[in-house]
Amino acid sequence: MKVVLINASPRNSSSSASLLESLKRYLDGQIETVELHCSKKVVSEDDLKQLRDADRWVIACPLYVDGIPGHFLSCMKQIADEVKSTPHVYGIINCGFYEGIQTDLALEILENWCCKSDYSWGGGVGVGGGGALASLPKLEPGVGPKAPVDKALKNLAETVLKNIPQKNEFVSLAFPRFLYKLAAQWGWRGAIKTNGGCAKDLNKRLS
Amino acid sequence: MKLIIADIENIPFEVHGEYKMIRPQEKIHNCIGCFGCWVKTPGICVIHDGYETTGSDMGKCSELIVVSRCDYGSYSPFVKTVMDRGISYIHPDFVIRKGEMHHKRRYKNVIALSAYFYGENITEREKWTAGKLLKANADNYDGKVKEIKFFESIEELEGIRV
Ligand SMILES: Cc1cc2nc3c(=O)[nH]c(=O)nc-3n(C[C@H](O)[C@H](O)[C@H](O)COP(=O)(O)O)c2cc1C
Repeated sequence: MKVVLINASPRNSSSSASLLESLKRYLDGQIETVELHCSKKVVSEDDLKQLRDADRWVIACPLYVDGIPGHFLSCMKQIADEVKSTPHVYGIINCGFYEGIQTDLALEILENWCCKSDYSWGGGVGVGGGGALASLPKLEPGVGPKAPVDKALKNLAETVLKNIPQKNEFVSLAFPRFLYKLAAQWGWRGAIKTNGGCAKDLNKRLS
Repeated sequence: MKLIIADIENIPFEVHGEYKMIRPQEKIHNCIGCFGCWVKTPGICVIHDGYETTGSDMGKCSELIVVSRCDYGSYSPFVKTVMDRGISYIHPDFVIRKGEMHHKRRYKNVIALSAYFYGENITEREKWTAGKLLKANADNYDGKVKEIKFFESIEELEGIRV
């Protein structure tokens, strides 16, 4: 019995990584866990071996253009071709928009992949407001804006430990939407200034 | 202009009128999630491998035509990577449309989006997902869906009229 935690974000420091870290806290000590980072188009031979050796996979992935990032679609095809085991697969999709429900298509794509590849889809969690996850202060689990996310991850951890399926659960941060929107927009203005530009460059149209 | 994103080198049908085609000629690098196309070089991707202008190409088109293998109800990795690399078509700021958060427009053009999916054994469920994906993309681009069709093979694409 082993769970592979697959981080499908191309970024080194990502919301997907922080979601897996939180999930791991709820799994710790109760089952062996292995972590993989699929940040490129190709999955290494070692990582494929880890996948073959585990009976449960949890994929944490950012939402890109309403679906799965292109590089991870390549990984999924490769895994389907090269890993002929029958794991239970769970998904955690986080997105920049506030509403967690916007991740449902990406979860559906993971489910379709499982159907085609003879893996068992175990359901997952869709997290809205993911853009803020990595920058939120680290509080006790279940406290602060991340509380609804922690609760969903705790439920998912229990499902994974029991090795059973669950319904997809969609959550947002416990933080008002208009403030999330404002904070993001301040963030973009700060970022472009740090890069030597000014706020109105954000509106640039190329001809 | 029509913008065509295809995952095959040679599409087996003719395109009428002015168009630009993005296809797998050069190796494509995946999006690295840096948002540089919004906050470093607004409008252009920071990875200069021949695919960096997708966002601004989208800003010039009236129709976006996708020709793609259907993988699990998604576009294929190549087509999806091109689309990931093209998010500078939209503006980083958020707006609320129909009760949901989306991005503001950067350009004024309204894109009519069509997709021609091919592949053996595309399941009904995958077709359903692909249809929703197209609709979701159109919502995020603040455009509209024009047409979606599924084909068993690349050869069958011959029947397409665009
Ligand atoms: C190319 C690209 C496309 C994106 N598309 C969407 C989208 O369609 N909807 C959304 O809510 N967020 C979208 N996002 C935002 C990411 O989902 C969000 O920033 C997420 O927190 C990144 O997760 P990560 O840190 O695990 O990589 C997109 C980001 C990138 C870079």
